Order: sequence, then structure tokens, then C-alpha cells
Amino acid sequence: MIRFEKVSKRFGRKVVLDGVDMEIKDGETFVIVGSSGAGKSVTLKHMVRLLTPDSGRVIIGDDVVSEARGSRLEAIRLRFGYLFQGSALLQWLPVGENVALPLREKTDMDDEAIGVQVVEKLKLVGLEDAVAKYPSDLSGGMRKRVGLARAIVTKPEIILYDEPTSGLDPVTSRSIDRLIDSMRRELGVTSIVVTHDLHSALAIGSRIAMLHEGRIVEISTPEEFIRSSNEVIQDFLEAQYITTRGAWEKAVPS
Amino acid sequence: MLAEAAWFMPLSVRARMRHEVVYQMFLTGIKSLGVITVVAMFTGMILALQTGLELRRFGQEVNIGTAVTVVMMREMGPFMTGLIIAASVGSAVAAQIGTMVVSEEIAALEIMSINPVRFLVTPRLIALAMMMPILTIYTNILGVVGGAIVGYTQLGVSLTAYFDNAIRYAENKDLYVGLFKAFVFGVIITTVACHQGFNASEGAVGVGRATRRTVIISFLTILVVGYVITRMFYV
Repeated sequence: MIRFEKVSKRFGRKVVLDGVDMEIKDGETFVIVGSSGAGKSVTLKHMVRLLTPDSGRVIIGDDVVSEARGSRLEAIRLRFGYLFQGSALLQWLPVGENVALPLREKTDMDDEAIGVQVVEKLKLVGLEDAVAKYPSDLSGGMRKRVGLARAIVTKPEIILYDEPTSGLDPVTSRSIDRLIDSMRRELGVTSIVVTHDLHSALAIGSRIAMLHEGRIVEISTPEEFIRSSNEVIQDFLEAQYITTRGAWEKAVPS
Repeated sequence: MLAEAAWFMPLSVRARMRHEVVYQMFLTGIKSLGVITVVAMFTGMILALQTGLELRRFGQEVNIGTAVTVVMMREMGPFMTGLIIAASVGSAVAAQIGTMVVSEEIAALEIMSINPVRFLVTPRLIALAMMMPILTIYTNILGVVGGAIVGYTQLGVSLTAYFDNAIRYAENKDLYVGLFKAFVFGVIITTVACHQGFNASEGAVGVGRATRRTVIISFLTILVVGYVITRMFYV
């Protein structure tokens, strides 16, 4: 379980998170939505302590991640996989080596075993033929899938997705949605997805949290979310032409 | 950061880091040979011509071998090598690490619990600290050869006389101090470049700023530290 307790963060004068309280259950796909600059990525970065809150605590299981240091923090981070918005693949390494990197650096596995894992994970994201290619040879969607393969190669308990469908065409976006959903179903991982793509959020989310001006204004299931009377949520739904039932249901992965 | 990078140095015996160190040595050393060859030759040639023309007024042009060799070993060898490496390798390292920072690759390493200093800085530090003295020896040799060519073709100094003088008056201390300087310059360039790279922000503009600062700070530090080392050993 991941718990945010009154987490606040400011950059200069700008308050990005203002007393965020939320709880994410094991095995669910928790989606955080909100407009650009609402603090979604900042929230995600607090979970792996890429950022430290000015006040409040972030707790993962029994560990207070916002206070962890050294080997304790390292151990906590090993429980996570992280898919970055821009994939964050090392440009000078081929795809296979990018996926193999956490195994080479953090385990005693031999080359053969690592190779098996790499191919298995690339197969899972449909890119087993791209082992020898470099990130610069891949499209945005392919890079995201490689990023996902790298995120899951260590079999993490929790996967964080930062804008997994941003900049992708609708077809590729839905294929990424299906991948995220299959990670939860097949690997049983807890997924936390940050997105402003409501189609994606409604399709894959177990619960959706709306972040607005640094505060969580509502946490609800997709069904409750779409019927919410909250004005901020209604504006957000309308801005993405999701005003009636049915449109988003078709996007639910089968 | 320098202390942290040095702390991880024992790990360089591991095959993976050893491989990375060798690769970085290739990048910093072999790939810089072309420009170093040209600069070293012309440095020796200019030194020989300038000192030779003055010495000729006193009928002492036969001593240009000594002048060129001593100046190359003590100062110009490590200094010119340092400047070339700072401009080529240092700027490239700052740009690479800076780009990794702005594209969140460094953050990705941290989340994978891979220490970015161990992964990126330590191999570069070892490689440059080892390659700088080797490249300086190469610069010294080419500088002395360049001086010999000018001495022979422009000043009428025989090659035998040139090299006799060069060997007779140059001391081991000149070589060791020069190589020590080169080693220190290697550490300075890596530290400055990595530090600037890790502190890059604001996208491409920030990467450009980190690159420019790396060259300027490295140049200035090399000048000052070069003077301090000379003073330590020769005054």
C-alpha cells in the first residue's frame, strides 16, 4: 500500500502539491488525472523520492520513503518500475542492453539468463525483433514499449507510468493501455498512472484521482468519476468530449 | 562528486566497469590523436622557430633541442594536451551528461538504484587520469620531432646535434612533473565536465551552457593549477 499523508511541495513561490492525502491499494491501477502543471508527475516522483516533500510523508508498506536514505532507499526503489514520459532510454545502448541494464547492474545473473529475460520482456511488449536497434531508430510508441520492458524486467511490485500515452496516436495509445492493463492482470502489479488522457484513465483505471491546483478533489471508480457532479471533473470530461456514457466504455480493453 | 567517484574506483576491476574504462580511454585517447598530432607538431615547430631565431643572434641555435624539449616536457606538453582534451572530451562529457539529465536518463538510473556517479563519472575519471599522461608523452615526442624538423630545415641545426642537446640537458624531473601535471589536468577536466553536466537544466540551452562553462572553467583551472605545480617543483 502507498500512502500520502498531507504531502506539500513548492517550487519557489509556486505551490505544486498542497496537503495531498491519498491511499493506493495493492494490485489496483490507480490513475491520477489533471491538467498540465497540476502536479501529477511531481506526485509520482515523490513515490520514488526523486523529489522530497516540503512537509508530509510518503509511505510505501512499512517504509517512509520520504525519509529513507542510502541502502534503505535503494531497496525501496528496487520495488518500483518507472516508465518515463520520454522513455529515458540510454541513447548509446541498444534496446536489448537498455532492458538488460537493471539486471546487469543489480543482480548476479549471467549473460545467458539476462538474455532470456530481455527477450521475454521484449516479447511481452511486442518488440522482440528490436533487440539490436538503438532508441534513435524507434518511434515514440516503440520507445515507450521498450521503456515498459525495462521497467518490468526486474519484476517490480509497483509500476509508475508518467504520461504513457502522451504524444502518441490514438491506436498506439490504446495498445499502450492494453499493455498496462495486462501488466496488472498477468503480473499482478500495482500500477500508478499519471495522465491527462481521460479515455485512457477510464479504460484502465481501478480508481481515478483528480488533481487540481495541488489538491486531490476526488477519488472514485471510473463509473463514479464519469457521473461526478464536481465542477472541475465535469469541465475536464467536457474538454475531452466525454459527456455521455458509452464513448469510454468502448475503449475498455477486452 | 570527485570523492564519491574515487570511492567507486576499486569496482573498476569488475569486467563491466573495466570494459567501460577501456571504451572511455579509446574515446578520449585514440579519437583525440588526430588533433593532438597537428597541435603538438606545430607547437614544437613554433617553439623551435621562435627560440632558434633568437639564439641564432648569439650563435647558439644548436641549443634549440634543449629549449624545445625542456619547454615541451615541463609546460607545453601537458598544457596543450589539457586544452585540447578540455575542449574536445570535456565539452562532450558535459553535453552527454547534461542531455541525460534533461531527458531524465539520470533519474531513470537513480530509480534503477544505479549510482550515476559510479556508472558515469568513475569510468571517465579513471580513463582520463590514465590517458592524459600517455597523450602528454605523445605530445612531447611530436613537439620535439616538430622542433627538429624546423631546426634542420630552417636553422641548419643537424639532427644529431639537436637530439644530443635535447637528451643531455633534459632531466627526469622535467618529465615526471609534466606527467604529474597531465594527471591532475585529467582529474580537473573530468570533475568540471561531470559537475557541469549533472547541474544542467532548462533543456538544450542548459546543456549548451554546461558545455561552455566546462571549457572556460577547465581552461582557467588548468592555467592556475599548472602555475601552482610549477612553483611547487621549481621554486
